[in-house]
Amino acid sequence: MNKTKEKRRFVILCLAPALILFSVFMIYPTINVFLMSTLRWGGFSDFKEFVGIQNFLILFEDMNFIRAFQNTIFVIVIVTVFTLALAILFAAILVREKIKGQNFFRVIFYIPNILSIVVIGAIFSAIYDPSTNGLLNSFLSLFHEDGWIGVQFLGNQSIVMYSIAFALIWQAIGYYMVMYMASMSSIPAHYYEAAELDGCGKIKQFFSITLPLIWTNIRTTLTFFVISTINLSFLLVQVMTTGGPDGASRVLLFYLYDQAYNNASYGYGMAIGAITFLFSFLLSAVINKITERDDLEF
Amino acid sequence: MKMKKMLSLGLSLLMCATLVTGCSGNDNSASESGSKTLKIAGLDGGYGTKGWEEVIKKFEEKTGAKVEYTFDKKISDILRPKMTSGKDVPDVIYLTVGAVGGLTDTLIKEKQIADISALLDETIPGEDVKVKDKVLTNFFEGATADPYGDGTLRLAPLNNAPCGLFYNAGLFKEKGWEVPTDWDGMFELGEKAKKEGIYLFTYPTAGYFDAFFTSLLNATAGPEVYAKLIAYDTEAWKLPEVKEAFEIVGRLKDYTLPTTVANANGDNFTKNQQAVIDGDALFIPNGTWLPGEMAATTPEGFEWGMTGIPAAKAGGDSYSTNFVEQMYVPEKAENKELALQFLAYCYSDEAADLFYKYGALNTEETEKTGKDVYNAGYLIPIKGSEDKVAEADRFMYTLSEKGVKTNSATFMAAEAVEGVTLTGETGILFGSVNSVMNGDKTVDQWYNESVDAVSKIAEANAKADK
Repeated sequence: MNKTKEKRRFVILCLAPALILFSVFMIYPTINVFLMSTLRWGGFSDFKEFVGIQNFLILFEDMNFIRAFQNTIFVIVIVTVFTLALAILFAAILVREKIKGQNFFRVIFYIPNILSIVVIGAIFSAIYDPSTNGLLNSFLSLFHEDGWIGVQFLGNQSIVMYSIAFALIWQAIGYYMVMYMASMSSIPAHYYEAAELDGCGKIKQFFSITLPLIWTNIRTTLTFFVISTINLSFLLVQVMTTGGPDGASRVLLFYLYDQAYNNASYGYGMAIGAITFLFSFLLSAVINKITERDDLEF
Repeated sequence: MKMKKMLSLGLSLLMCATLVTGCSGNDNSASESGSKTLKIAGLDGGYGTKGWEEVIKKFEEKTGAKVEYTFDKKISDILRPKMTSGKDVPDVIYLTVGAVGGLTDTLIKEKQIADISALLDETIPGEDVKVKDKVLTNFFEGATADPYGDGTLRLAPLNNAPCGLFYNAGLFKEKGWEVPTDWDGMFELGEKAKKEGIYLFTYPTAGYFDAFFTSLLNATAGPEVYAKLIAYDTEAWKLPEVKEAFEIVGRLKDYTLPTTVANANGDNFTKNQQAVIDGDALFIPNGTWLPGEMAATTPEGFEWGMTGIPAAKAGGDSYSTNFVEQMYVPEKAENKELALQFLAYCYSDEAADLFYKYGALNTEETEKTGKDVYNAGYLIPIKGSEDKVAEADRFMYTLSEKGVKTNSATFMAAEAVEGVTLTGETGILFGSVNSVMNGDKTVDQWYNESVDAVSKIAEANAKADK
């Protein structure tokens, strides 16, 4: 009897540090964001006015916010779809096929992931250079007559988000590819041998064996996609376009920063933070729910 | 058994205890050394920090005070938590209105900047002169010094840096072109240059329109209307001569280097500046730091020229914005008296010499000569300071001799309106320029949105006054 009590005390004591840290650095700040989102406050003074849900009401009429929200959803969708498809494809090729320089490709694909976002910004500044000397434009100018001024990758409101999304896909593929490769290589080879004897082609094998068996892994990465795209798109936009031209590439966190810091509306910024939090939470939950399948074991 | 129990309990307690190590306070250091410690925080910007370090050293020698200082490229992010908590607030902050991070702008809106009107009557340490008898008084007037417009001094000017339109003087001589003094002349030159494949205009980022566009507003509407504009007078914003400034920018669209907008961001703005050096564009709005900033990619023998923002009509006034760097004392500072003494010292001959002598480190020259070589630093706005300017840089400080009038780009302090940013690179007034230039917005849209934003801010101001 005494023993179980003692054991419980020990367990509680062992858990305490983690729990305390988690509450101080995760739970408390999160609650604080929601509390501050009900204030009219610039961030520094003692003058804090409670305005209830006023900040949220303004948000839904603020076209800049809606545009930033649209941009964020756009980036999440585009980046997830393309990165997922390409990463799985490359992983499947590298794991299942015998190609020369397999390890070389593995490293090459992974490199963008270890670069800092500032470096990625600088690399893509050279790629997207709007003059006809830019990396992409000098190639494109082969198909155009003289006097062509080049595609304004970061200077055209209708292209800029694609340019940002492409850079994000480029940097994310390697990371997810390695994750998928890890789970693919643990699939026993005899499944594929059996399938081959039954006359299955490579594509059929991929959809009937590989995909179902790495499904749990894909589900986990989908949540990663949502979280990391929200964060990285902010950093990349901050470095590459400063939200421009004229706010066309603002994403949620950029608008949060802009309002809370540059416009002295800290409470309003926190309201954007609260919406971002709820949105990513809900989106992850929904994705988790609709991708639920029976677990397959080998 | 008992041993094991004790051991496990002890270890888990130790684990909990380590959680709080490192949280111990170290606040006692300040109280021990007494109230004679001055805390200075500032931006490590284009002028470097060597000047500050030298001035601080001399100030310590002169007054016996102890100075702790922090200069950082991201000073805004470092100070933010301190200002919010109200603890360890610096006594003097050097960070100009409009700097990235919006710290100074927010402090002004939140009324967290101390009244330093007494500075003018302060005697400069080491000299027998009062500050007000030493400085160029026009730098201590207007919204850059008195953002509330109530006759109090809040922001002390640190630099005298005229902004205007920079051009390649050599190219003008070679082609035999005259630098236009009004906008009709500008567009005529634009046509002439176009035939030679040169664009009339480019700009680094939309943020540079703060200096350019406010000068233009002065040129089209005059200083009296302009004073109302920066005070958010909605009726003044609706005047046709105000709209004329918007229309001039709209006309510039056809004469602007097409790659400007795509390069108008923090990563690529120097490409727009390079376009003027390379002869792809004629004029670029910029400030006195431009020749230094582009020195590494400027060919030998290149000659810069600088002119004011042209007059609206022939015979009208041309304007140039004076970009003053600012320092101030936060309301929550503990050592306001010593802070005032330090600010006063910044206007001494000794400090002014040091500030000008030690600007940013000139890395190229330093490498070549093996000795530390510094660019020119802040030009403290005291009487006779312009004599310090080196011969090669003089062309940037002689605009007033050519009849160009000065303007200040700072708007008056206003209430924050959620979702409405008027000034700054991301604001409606300057940020929209990118959209006008690439045809995404018409001039009317830009103008109407700006007036709309002004009226929203004016409404909030009126509400707060009640």
